[in-house]
Amino acid sequence: MKVNEYYRASSLEDAYQKLLASPKNAIIAGGLWMKKMGQSYETLIDLSNLGLDKIEDKKDEVVVGALATQRDFENSKVVSFLYAGAPAFAVREVMGVNFRNIATIGGSIMGRYPFSDVITGLLPYDVKLEFYPAQKMSLEEYLNYKGRLNAILVAVHIKKIEGKGYFKKVKTTALDFPIVNIAVAKVAGEYRVVVGARPMVAAKAYKAMEYLNNGAKDFTKAAELAVEELSFMDNKDASKEYRVDLAKVYVRRGLEEVSK
Amino acid sequence: MLVTFYLNNTQVSYDVRPDEYLSHTLRSHGIKSVKVGCNESTCGSCTLLVDDKPVMSCSVLTASIEGKHVTTVEGIQEEAAKIAYHFAEEGADQCGFCNAGYALVVYALKREIKNPTEEQIIDYIVGNLCRCSGLQSQLNAIKAYLKEE
Ligand SMILES: Cc1cc2nc3c(=O)[nH]c(=O)nc-3n(C[C@H](O)[C@H](O)[C@H](O)COP(=O)(O)OP(=O)(O)OC[C@H]3O[C@@H](n4cnc5c(N)ncnc54)[C@H](O)[C@@H]3O)c2cc1C
Ligand code: FES
Ligand code: FES
Repeated sequence: MKVNEYYRASSLEDAYQKLLASPKNAIIAGGLWMKKMGQSYETLIDLSNLGLDKIEDKKDEVVVGALATQRDFENSKVVSFLYAGAPAFAVREVMGVNFRNIATIGGSIMGRYPFSDVITGLLPYDVKLEFYPAQKMSLEEYLNYKGRLNAILVAVHIKKIEGKGYFKKVKTTALDFPIVNIAVAKVAGEYRVVVGARPMVAAKAYKAMEYLNNGAKDFTKAAELAVEELSFMDNKDASKEYRVDLAKVYVRRGLEEVSK
Repeated sequence: MLVTFYLNNTQVSYDVRPDEYLSHTLRSHGIKSVKVGCNESTCGSCTLLVDDKPVMSCSVLTASIEGKHVTTVEGIQEEAAKIAYHFAEEGADQCGFCNAGYALVVYALKREIKNPTEEQIIDYIVGNLCRCSGLQSQLNAIKAYLKEE
């Protein structure tokens, strides 16, 4: 990674103006993905003086600052109570502690990575992204947003609703990227099914959800509907067929788990 | 650019490039205990503590640590000697390349989690790879060290 200037923003407006100043300027969070990509930047904009690393317990939501690290997230008491700990567990599946102390929740979402455990782990829930300049959109809307959003992610709002979640990352060794990841939840009596790392960014399996939420109870059939609806591909880690087989099994197991 | 931080509790100011990583800055100032293995945020051999938390120094820009506290193995000599003793006892010590990173992560584990379970220990050290041994000997050594006192 080549950088000409490292800039500590004094306010969100200051950071935003710097971001607009050149297409070669970018926000830096943990900087791990940016290092891996190895691009050249004119200016990196550091937001760490803006207090965006807090995790707050509000009446009906948990508000996670974009700069909270993955480790802050998994260690947070309020987060660990959310959906039987499933979102925290998903984040704990990323690399080791010395990595998760650097990687941020904001950076993990903004990149819309096709392998992301963080995104898959959050997508079943009612999650809204708060940007500067003022704008809110759901996590799902952001994943489907065409093009690059030239805005600053400020916080991630996770609704607190009674419910239970399940997360499974299939990986070859402890530090690997996922071959496939699955998040299933039952939130206020409604089933949610998400499959990611297909290897494409996480998506909801709407047909399976509709089938279950209309009262059907056959989880094997629901898992089949999920893999029929979502597309899967080959890459160097696994074949499309292997991913489909894994997803079928873990969607079913997830449904069994959250329905208990 | 000039960056000022605390290195093992001593204030230092270094003139660094904006794209320079902490492992590089420290090694170029003679702190050779910081080992760079993969240089790709994976192996953990470059682990040190920033504000008491273990991080991969090959992946932290020096520019980002203004005002923070950096601890290398030189800063925890007494504890590092105890950890090294248990590593030697268990034969977890081979080429030694991973040792400084291990010592720091084990030290941080002890301070962060009281009486960790085996699962918590493994979760804490899984980001520190050792090419020479099977990790079981490390685990035994860490358990013995945590039992001290
Ligand atoms: C070796 C390696 C292995 C990994 N393995 C996994 C894995 O197994 N599972 C997994 O889920 N993830 C994995 N990841 C991804 C990792 O978990 C993080 O999601 C990723 O590094 C991004 O987080 P960051 O804080 O480092 O972001 P950065 O690298 O700092 O930023 C990433 C992008 O987001 C932008 N950005 C960051 N913050 C903001 C903001 N507040 N507003 C606007 N834009 C912003 C940046 O400009 C940049 O384009 C891996 C990454 C690496 C390098
Ligand atoms: S050298 Fe930093 S993680 Fe391998
Ligand atoms: S002793 Fe050689 S890498 Fe661990």
